[in-house]
Amino acid sequence: MSDSEYSVVLFYSTSGAIRAEKLSKEAGLRVKLIPVPRHLSSDCGVCLRCESADIDKVRSILDAARVEFEQISAL
Amino acid sequence: MTKLVDCRGLACPQPVIQTKKAMAEGETVTTIVDNDTAKMNVSRMAGKEGYAVEVEEKDDGIYLHLTKAGALPEQTTAPAPPTEGRVGPTVVLIPSEGMGRGDDELGGILIRSFLHTLNEVEPLPDTIVFVNAGVKLTVEDSLVLEDLQFLEQRGVEILACGTCLGHFGLKAKMAIGEISNMYTIAETLLGAGKVVAL
Repeated sequence: MSDSEYSVVLFYSTSGAIRAEKLSKEAGLRVKLIPVPRHLSSDCGVCLRCESADIDKVRSILDAARVEFEQISAL
Repeated sequence: MTKLVDCRGLACPQPVIQTKKAMAEGETVTTIVDNDTAKMNVSRMAGKEGYAVEVEEKDDGIYLHLTKAGALPEQTTAPAPPTEGRVGPTVVLIPSEGMGRGDDELGGILIRSFLHTLNEVEPLPDTIVFVNAGVKLTVEDSLVLEDLQFLEQRGVEILACGTCLGHFGLKAKMAIGEISNMYTIAETLLGAGKVVAL
């Protein structure tokens, strides 16, 4: 992973992104739903931005809740 | 006593924030930036704060010399737009809590995306007006508060309809911008070069 401050998690559906935001916030993580950056996709979609330092926590939260995600990228 | 702010290598909106901080400490500020977007954003904010901007492009960066001018630009620039034809402030009107109709949850996501993105694209609007349930976006615990704070720091004026805040019982919870009345809102919309109504 790069040393960017933020990373984004891309999902297959908007509802996946909403669930992921809710779960991450409940876990006290600083996350934000943002539009998928242009360099990652040209589709209209939202993704979850989190602090890169928290990426492992986010991944385990999503795995535990079985929220499928497409990819995780540095922002 | 000029305060020097070196913003080379800093990402938006840091140059604006740091310059604004320096303005609070002195009358003249020189900000060094390394790209045109930062130059535009800092210059725009400085203009709104009543500073004269002198640009000096050097090999190692763009030097913005900011000097506090006597009068606030409100009076000097406000009457100007009509004489310049169609050029005038860009105003975004937000009349509901979400973007579009059909599904409230989706509308909420879209408005959050929209306000986040306003900080990443050009041009920046001059004013954002919130009316009806749109004012709920300007109060404590609003999910877009951080985005609105960035926009305000960059010089975007934020107006929230006082009647509407009162109607929802939210006046005491207002967390950003100014409480406004229909005179100001009507003048802002009619005096705009362009209104983007959601």
